[in-house]
Amino acid sequence: MIKTAQDIKSYKKQLKEALSDQFLRTALDNFNCAYRENRSAVYEGIDFEEIKKEIAAEKDAALPRLKELFEAFKIHAEAAGAKIHVAKDARQANEIVAAIAKENNVKKIIKSKSMTAEETFLNDHLEKEGYSVTETDLGEWIIQLRKEGPSHMVMPAIHLSRYQVGDLFEKVTRKKLASENIDKLVKVARKTLRPAYLEADMGISGANFAIAESGALGLVTNEGNMRLVTTLPRIHVALVGYDKLIPDLKTMLRILKVLPRNATGQAITSYVTWIKGAVACGSSTTNRKEMHIVFLDNGRLTLAEDPVFAEALRCIRCGACANVCPVYSKVGGHKYGHVYIGAIGLILTLFYHGKENDRAIVKNCINCQACKEVCPVDIDLPHLIKKTYRVVLDQDGKTPVKNVLLSKVLKNRKLFHFILRNAYLVQKPLAKNKGMIRHLPHFFEKEHGFRSLPVIAKTPFRDQWEAIHSHVVQPKYTIALFAGCAVDFIYPEQALALLKVLQKYDVQVAFPMDQTCCGLPALMAAEEETAKEVALQNLKAVTSEKYEYILTLCASCGSHLKHNYPKIFKDASLSPENLKAFTDKIIDVSSFVVNVLKASSKDFNVTGEKVAYHSPCHLCRGMQVTNEPRKLIEIAGYQYVPSKDENVCCGFGGSYSVDFPEISAEILKKKLDDVQATDARLLVSDCPGCVLQLGGGMDKRGRKIKVKHIVEILAETK
Amino acid sequence: MPTSDLIKLMKEKAEAVQAVVVKIKTTKEAFQYTVDLTRQQKGTSVVAMGLGTQDVNLLEKACKTADLTFLKPPLRLHANKIHTALTPVDWGIAETGTLVLDSSSEDVRIATMLSETHVALLPVSKIKPDISALENEINAVLKADGSSYYAFITGASRTADIERVLAIGVHGPQELHILMMEENRE
Repeated sequence: MIKTAQDIKSYKKQLKEALSDQFLRTALDNFNCAYRENRSAVYEGIDFEEIKKEIAAEKDAALPRLKELFEAFKIHAEAAGAKIHVAKDARQANEIVAAIAKENNVKKIIKSKSMTAEETFLNDHLEKEGYSVTETDLGEWIIQLRKEGPSHMVMPAIHLSRYQVGDLFEKVTRKKLASENIDKLVKVARKTLRPAYLEADMGISGANFAIAESGALGLVTNEGNMRLVTTLPRIHVALVGYDKLIPDLKTMLRILKVLPRNATGQAITSYVTWIKGAVACGSSTTNRKEMHIVFLDNGRLTLAEDPVFAEALRCIRCGACANVCPVYSKVGGHKYGHVYIGAIGLILTLFYHGKENDRAIVKNCINCQACKEVCPVDIDLPHLIKKTYRVVLDQDGKTPVKNVLLSKVLKNRKLFHFILRNAYLVQKPLAKNKGMIRHLPHFFEKEHGFRSLPVIAKTPFRDQWEAIHSHVVQPKYTIALFAGCAVDFIYPEQALALLKVLQKYDVQVAFPMDQTCCGLPALMAAEEETAKEVALQNLKAVTSEKYEYILTLCASCGSHLKHNYPKIFKDASLSPENLKAFTDKIIDVSSFVVNVLKASSKDFNVTGEKVAYHSPCHLCRGMQVTNEPRKLIEIAGYQYVPSKDENVCCGFGGSYSVDFPEISAEILKKKLDDVQATDARLLVSDCPGCVLQLGGGMDKRGRKIKVKHIVEILAETK
Repeated sequence: MPTSDLIKLMKEKAEAVQAVVVKIKTTKEAFQYTVDLTRQQKGTSVVAMGLGTQDVNLLEKACKTADLTFLKPPLRLHANKIHTALTPVDWGIAETGTLVLDSSSEDVRIATMLSETHVALLPVSKIKPDISALENEINAVLKADGSSYYAFITGASRTADIERVLAIGVHGPQELHILMMEENRE
């Protein structure tokens, strides 16, 4: 049965177990890579960005009307012979289904896959009431036999190998099986389950859609079991969440364009089925199916009215947020959700299964934005996960020590910078090799030792500024540098490299001294108030009207300033126009040099050195900058060497790598392996955080591949 | 889109999901195909739903000649014995290689769900370019009074539940054959 950790200590223990499961890791890595390839192929010719906005808008328009849509659905479905029930919570839903079974003298029940039934733990209830329940979806049947919960919303048994399934089926059939042959395993399920459909009195299904204008259910499936479950037994019960109500067929057809593509990389599933009312049924004494539809609320109707979280109800259960999640691919679904899995699971668990089950897992988001990018209904998943974390903290009435310190220190820039300056003195004795700390002192736990750490700079950039900044007589552009803490205090050389490059292009650079941490670390810890406070400090420090651009070398700062500040001030405590004047000016170095300065290869010396590139999450997804850095490498006289999965997270995630070092290390490992598979001897990125993670990892490996910020290699050939 | 392009696309997309696509000219050819295929697969029985009485008689005769059992409705009685099911379908959707079949009749459902091999008869005039071109037709069925069971069928039943490896033929038919019939050429 599902055992979700309810505190961080036992969660970490579970994670450790999952990380040591070699098969799980291989299976999920393969899955993760293959999915991304299939998906992009199947979306050819479809404007994903446009269609996802349309669906999101349709879903948003439907949410405030759920009760009205329900009434319309009810009228049509009842007219066609269906019986409609309403369950306010999971327990009531289970009781309704059990009561239908009792009333109709049911003994055997057969089921097709339903996440909603998983949500209510329907099988447990029915079995307790004495009914025999058989799951028929292959994955669901497997996990039912293993007495497990699903590890994925679409592929519930994706955590298992064919050999594990083979062993299980040998026990069930008491026959020797050739497990390496998946086709044969599938036939075992076909053969074993066939009689069960015919013997069952009741079939239970879920539904993907409840169409209000006609009272029909829409179901999207592949194996054919749902069709049998809804055809052969004399009773059909469909358990449907209120969120599945949509106004019309048009909406369903639009969603149908993305659901199979996103879920399994199929243009369409083997079967799409509409069921309306009580259809003909030879096993019923009336020759009509006894058809029941149970609508489950379980918090949905309240959620639909929530100004922040209603968005989560757009979810169409494609499971893609798990498919692309670097954390999911390391730890698997049983450690990355409760019943609902993946990014959406970290959110829905709070609302459907309570804070206890969400408390630990909700912390495990690295904020790489991959889920947000892939979501076909445009849910801002990483944002909602942090919002969810805030609610969990509030409900628990606790403030972690980290949060107390974070907000105390960050709100006071001088104190924060005082601490950073003095950190240099503390670290100095530990740095043995070229400013890298390879061995952490013993009070750190050993799992933090997967990468060397850079030393805090002796003189931060801000303290060098007075001496180094210059005045450009006829500047082409006047820009402000938003350095970010990592560049300012760890990698001032990156800012120096930038100054060198920009000077040659006659760009006047200003460094507003009162700038402070962008506030992202506070937001990641769900310290919204602190994030807002430092945002205000930065907006005051960097007066946007003075500059044509606000350039940052840190992708995380950049995307936070540009896209999170508007979310932080959504309450309209700041005029949107003023804010826009600021956010519109945020730019990364590659875009600035390529698009604004229009740099050409004539401006640089040619080295021809082979350079691999890591695309920071907050640049490629956060700021949607993908081509410019790759172009810039070539313009600057280097040879860009593509490597596998350049857009996948490096595992840094700011404090994530401190909170979950073992997962961070695993994500990093794959990234470094992919880079090492090329013949590049230099790896560049455009975020100091990524440079820290990748550089530390390479150093620990003792590899000769150097890791630099892209601006540093520009300065070298300029 | 010209009919020839629609036919081409329908074939290409259906084959991409492991359906077998064959062009035929007469219903007689369809019956022969069904019988031959069944024998070839070592099946012993054939059902047909949605054919006119005359066609049923013809197929029954062809089965008899080939020593195959021709099963008659109600099919529930033969639920575990159906090898091949032959059904005309209402529409084809070229974009995805999909067949559309009103399955409100229980026998149509049993035939297309419990058979080992489903042979679908698709007149080429019924091929539509994409799903949206059928919106009115689907809505006409769904909004009509009374109950309905309406189905899109694309390829044979499949799963990727074990190791995300594609396997064909799970709980539904293990093979789908599409006979695309060009009419008025007899």
